[in-house]
Amino acid sequence: MLRISHIIKNFGNVNALQNVSLTINKGEFFGLLGPNGAGKSTLMNIIIGYLEADSGQISFNDQVISSSNINLRKKFGYVPQEISLYLELSAHQNLRIFGKFYNFGAKELENKIEEVLELVQLKDRKKDLVKEFSGGMKRRLNLAASLLHDPEILLCDEPTVGVDPQSRNAIFDMLNILNKAGKTILYTTHYMEEAERLCSRLAIIDNGNIIAQGTLIELINLLNQKDTIKIQKTAFTQNKLALLKDMGQISENDFYLELIPKESYNQNSKIFGKLEEIGIRNEFVQISRATLEDVFLNLTGRSLRD
Amino acid sequence: MKNIYHLIIKDIIRFLNDKRAVILTFLVPIMLIIIFGNIFGGSGGVRGKASLILVNESNSIVAKLLEAKLDSSKSLQTVKTYTAENGKDTLKFDEETAKEWVRTGRISAAVVMPKDFFTDTSSAIKIKFYYDPKNEIESNIIQGNMQQTIFTQIPRMMPILMQRKAANYLGNDSTKRFLKGMGNIVHKYFGVSSDSFYNRLTNVDSASLFSSSADTSRESNFMSNLIKFDSEQLVGKKITNPGLTRSVGGWAMMFLLFSLTGAATSIFEEKNEGTLKRLLCMPITRSDILWSKYIYSMLLGMVQLLVMFLFAWAFFGVEIFANFGNLLILIIASAAAAVSFGMLITSITKTYSQANGISTLLILVMSALGGSWFPTSFLPDWMQVISKGTLTFWSMEGFLQVLWRHSNFAGIAPNVLVLLSIAFLINFYALIRFRRGII
Repeated sequence: MLRISHIIKNFGNVNALQNVSLTINKGEFFGLLGPNGAGKSTLMNIIIGYLEADSGQISFNDQVISSSNINLRKKFGYVPQEISLYLELSAHQNLRIFGKFYNFGAKELENKIEEVLELVQLKDRKKDLVKEFSGGMKRRLNLAASLLHDPEILLCDEPTVGVDPQSRNAIFDMLNILNKAGKTILYTTHYMEEAERLCSRLAIIDNGNIIAQGTLIELINLLNQKDTIKIQKTAFTQNKLALLKDMGQISENDFYLELIPKESYNQNSKIFGKLEEIGIRNEFVQISRATLEDVFLNLTGRSLRD
Repeated sequence: MKNIYHLIIKDIIRFLNDKRAVILTFLVPIMLIIIFGNIFGGSGGVRGKASLILVNESNSIVAKLLEAKLDSSKSLQTVKTYTAENGKDTLKFDEETAKEWVRTGRISAAVVMPKDFFTDTSSAIKIKFYYDPKNEIESNIIQGNMQQTIFTQIPRMMPILMQRKAANYLGNDSTKRFLKGMGNIVHKYFGVSSDSFYNRLTNVDSASLFSSSADTSRESNFMSNLIKFDSEQLVGKKITNPGLTRSVGGWAMMFLLFSLTGAATSIFEEKNEGTLKRLLCMPITRSDILWSKYIYSMLLGMVQLLVMFLFAWAFFGVEIFANFGNLLILIIASAAAAVSFGMLITSITKTYSQANGISTLLILVMSALGGSWFPTSFLPDWMQVISKGTLTFWSMEGFLQVLWRHSNFAGIAPNVLVLLSIAFLINFYALIRFRRGII
């Protein structure tokens, strides 16, 4: 279990982290969601020992993380935001260099390298120079370098920044496989879609403060907001406006009529049944659920992408 | 036009934000102009004087004249005394001590006016010049200035020297008779007292010798054969390639500083590329990273210096194996000092660009002040003091001791000690800064 307690970090007059406390349980896929500059990477840098906190403490399995306790770092795998690889060397050379610090025997290290290259699907490119790789391949190798020593917890600091959708999905799949295999993952991102898709539990960070945490459902429930029914705006559906108003509260924009149903329409089947009854077919209707974006907007008054 | 204006502004902003470019564009040339300006007198300040030991063992008035002229030379600094080993007594140089000082590299030249400077009428006046051409330009300048100073005084000494020559050929009695005869003729036709004329030709008139109004511009070349000028190169006579042997150390040190500073500051590249962060997340301490950089840079520096010297040996005949053990010691000490300089730059700067700019500035200035480009004796006195604070100076002097003078370890010990002390102190400071998490 990774326990982060009352971490404070200032850079001059900038309060990067203000009394941040979190607990990440064993086997969890924990997301730290926040806009750029919220303090995610600062927190990650303190966890990995790159930065020192002004106050507070971080422990892993009840052992305090400090610059002197370097053996504890063997339990961490860090996937940095940058492509932290030696670009002028081959994939295999990179992994050999990083693997050497974990005291593997020569054969064991070779096996580990083969294993992680297999996982990230780069086995057939292992002798190629990293600088010749595509962005997605570099990202995958970046991940592989963090897995060589089979860490207990994987610390992923926005590992998909600038990655094409296909490679991003490949990375997500790999992380899911690792998590299902029992690896604890702490994943920072400013993409709410990633957080929603991957994380079993989440914390939202803004201006160095944890403003909410819980499962995705728990966070969305903070909004106390029902699903919105979006009906495509046509001459026909606009003619049905009076009937739709009977179903609940209606608002409209250039493209949609948005319906927040009354209590009596608390099941989707009832809503779709009534809409069919008044002649609005299913293909003109979609259900819009609250998202983490809405949660963030609700909590901070700003968009995640601001 | 507006677009061009905005594009120019864009380039100006980018340039001003690039500290390295600003330093290289303005600060480096300014510093070099200051140094060269002081050397070539452009600043109007006092230029440095080349030192030479002056031993005057003669009591003659002519020797005193030359001593006075050398003392007042604008480009030479005469040294006549030294502090004894007990640190208290001040002793006058004699010929043997002067030669020893030249031989061991404590000074580049010595001029000796021996006891028989003016007594032996069979020859011209005797002047001995001992020199160590460890730096050819400096050596030539000293020799040139000294000869100029002496030869321009010859017209004042001409009557005396002429008589000496005449006496040598005709004999003393015949010369006297000739001069007396000349006096009688002058008395007969010009009314000048024959005794007065005779005395003027035969007695040394010290007042007129030291007079500044005497014409010294003419006849100096003609009369130069009246002076026996014995030059003796005390050091480096057997050196196969003196030019390169003298300069290889200075150039080697300059390039060593560039390459090792680059190696040390590569830590910034690792920081930018993120590999430093990845390494720090591994079971590695910051000290491990720093020591690895230090040792790697040391090895690189030692190999670089060895390759340079081996190349100079193989292709230009610079003798490196005659004193190879001491050369190795000096290579290690120089590499240690150069790496620590790189570490210092890394510890006091925040970005690769900053480090690169500052190191380029300091390396070029150190090379100029330390003697890599020209003799430090060209520098004004205050710059010569600064010069001794540069590791280039100590390293280059050390290489000269090894390659030029074939000194034993005692000869290079001060240089090695200074270089290692610089390395130790700078590393100690850099380590403190690194531990505070500067990197």
